Amino acid sequence: MLTLFFDFARRFARNRAALVGLFLVLVVVGVAIAAPWWFPRNPLRIVGRPEIWPFMSPRYPLGTDSLGRDIAAMIAHGARTTLLIGLCASLTATIIGITVGATAAYVGGWVDELLMRLTELFQTIPNLIFVLTIVSILGQKIEYVTIAVGVVTWTPIARLTRAEFMSLRDREFVQACRAMGMGSLWIMFGEILPNALPPVIVLSSLVVAGAVLFESAVAFLGLGDPNVTSWGQLIGDGRTLIRSSWYICAVPGLAIMLTVLALNLVGDGLNDALNPKLRDR
Amino acid sequence: MIMGSKAGPAPILSIEDLQVSLFTRRGVLPAVDGLSLTVSAGETLAIVGESGCGKSLTALAIMRLLPNPPAKIVGGAVRFMGRDLAALSEREMQRVRGKDISMIFQDPMTSLNPVVAVGDQLIEAIRRHNDVSRHEARDRAIELLRQVRIPDAERRFNDYPHQMSGGMSQRVMIAMAIACGPKLLIADEPTTALDVTIQAQIIELMKELQSSSDMGLIIITHDLGVVAEVADRVAVMYAGRKVEEAPVEALFERPLHRYTRGLLGATPSAQRRRGSRLVEITGNVPALSDLPQGCAFQNRCPDVLDRCRAERPQLAPLLPHRSAACFAAEKELSRDAAAIGA
Repeated sequence: MLTLFFDFARRFARNRAALVGLFLVLVVVGVAIAAPWWFPRNPLRIVGRPEIWPFMSPRYPLGTDSLGRDIAAMIAHGARTTLLIGLCASLTATIIGITVGATAAYVGGWVDELLMRLTELFQTIPNLIFVLTIVSILGQKIEYVTIAVGVVTWTPIARLTRAEFMSLRDREFVQACRAMGMGSLWIMFGEILPNALPPVIVLSSLVVAGAVLFESAVAFLGLGDPNVTSWGQLIGDGRTLIRSSWYICAVPGLAIMLTVLALNLVGDGLNDALNPKLRDR
Repeated sequence: MIMGSKAGPAPILSIEDLQVSLFTRRGVLPAVDGLSLTVSAGETLAIVGESGCGKSLTALAIMRLLPNPPAKIVGGAVRFMGRDLAALSEREMQRVRGKDISMIFQDPMTSLNPVVAVGDQLIEAIRRHNDVSRHEARDRAIELLRQVRIPDAERRFNDYPHQMSGGMSQRVMIAMAIACGPKLLIADEPTTALDVTIQAQIIELMKELQSSSDMGLIIITHDLGVVAEVADRVAVMYAGRKVEEAPVEALFERPLHRYTRGLLGATPSAQRRRGSRLVEITGNVPALSDLPQGCAFQNRCPDVLDRCRAERPQLAPLLPHRSAACFAAEKELSRDAAAIGA
């Protein structure tokens, strides 16, 4: 098991960009974890004069926004929200996607037809509109945003899982498992899934990046949770001042950009490390 | 045996008039047609035939693992230790698979889960049907690996299938198959994917395991060398039907059905006179979708009679202990009998 992990780490590390991505992701995660100690007070509190530019005041290294709130504190606390929503939404999407895709491929027949038509139905609905609809129906809470983002992003995972299962389902080892008296559920999730997982993990890591963007868009449009700070919300609040104090939008914008880029790089690295076809190159 | 030939020990498996059809776009094809077989404890039955004659479908039908669609059992019964397997629920059937009847497949390299260490796969197989702790299962698994002659079993235990050779993998497959002490083992071309020296070792191993546990063994193969090595009885199949069944020595000594003769003629052997050529069976197996009227072998048969084209020969006990479905053989035997009588 340990040697497998070292193997994996070695292949991952061969991709330099992925290492940079991993470093950035770790920085963001570190900031998110450290936020309550670093900025112990509520980041939404007004702490000083509004519109202090970054690097002008040592107390507010990233400046203050239009209300006089500390941007650095909001970025740090916002990282928690953004990452949490990204991870939970990706997890939701992966669970739904794997369940739907695996069931469709393994059971086949009309179940497959039904589930795939359902998947297509979800794919045809414009994602952002769908998220906004769900959030406005359920309410502006962080849990609902997470669920909404998860519900719109599971479709590619379902299709990928289905394709993987289709090719694995007819392999001889599955037949051998059935000949050993294993039940369908065990075979699906205990035997086939571990084989199908690598590409699904890669896609899930990319879905985290997508979810971060969705959350930002929702918050930008003012439909995020008003009691929790997030990067998108910060941009949304700053957009009226974009001509004069553009840094209010630019700082969280940069944070989003770097995080999404880093997640994508990590996804690529995982692909290199987990894809058996690229293994010995 | 006082009871006479027919009554040996009661058969553990008896297949009666099994019919498996393939439901395809070209219509319903009879892939296995009226097959009857029995296997007793400790006995080895070989099912022989060319590709596509229904051997593997028969095995899958016993296990109720036919790929549906297209294949489906449309008639007959499979009785195992007196129970009709067709009447069991899927859940009950799962308890039979792997515990009472287990199966070994053709290609060991693809029959093991590539992402699970072989030891863990063995543990899974053991714990599926036995209520034992992981620790106990582990001890049992290592013991099984030793039993199938895997050197350095404890270290091999953590290997992944890709780290093993074909012969090793097949040994692991056998270990998994016998993990729960099955009463019947079905081996579907267990040595086809292995090279010759390994084949001999695997065959030897299977014989040994069988004699120590008294399980019934069905070996499906097209390799007559394997048949001669292990089988007690042989059933020859052609185009979905059993065309001949005989004890192994009798079959090799005097094959009755012309198809069996063809098979033996096409097999190289050390005893054969140098320079004598292997005789091929001309033509191909007819497609199931256009089986001729009469005998399915008529177009390839060297001794075809008019009768063979008109009606289909039924399986008949032509000699003691053995039966064949062949008019030419019937005629030949009656001529022999007449010669003796005269």
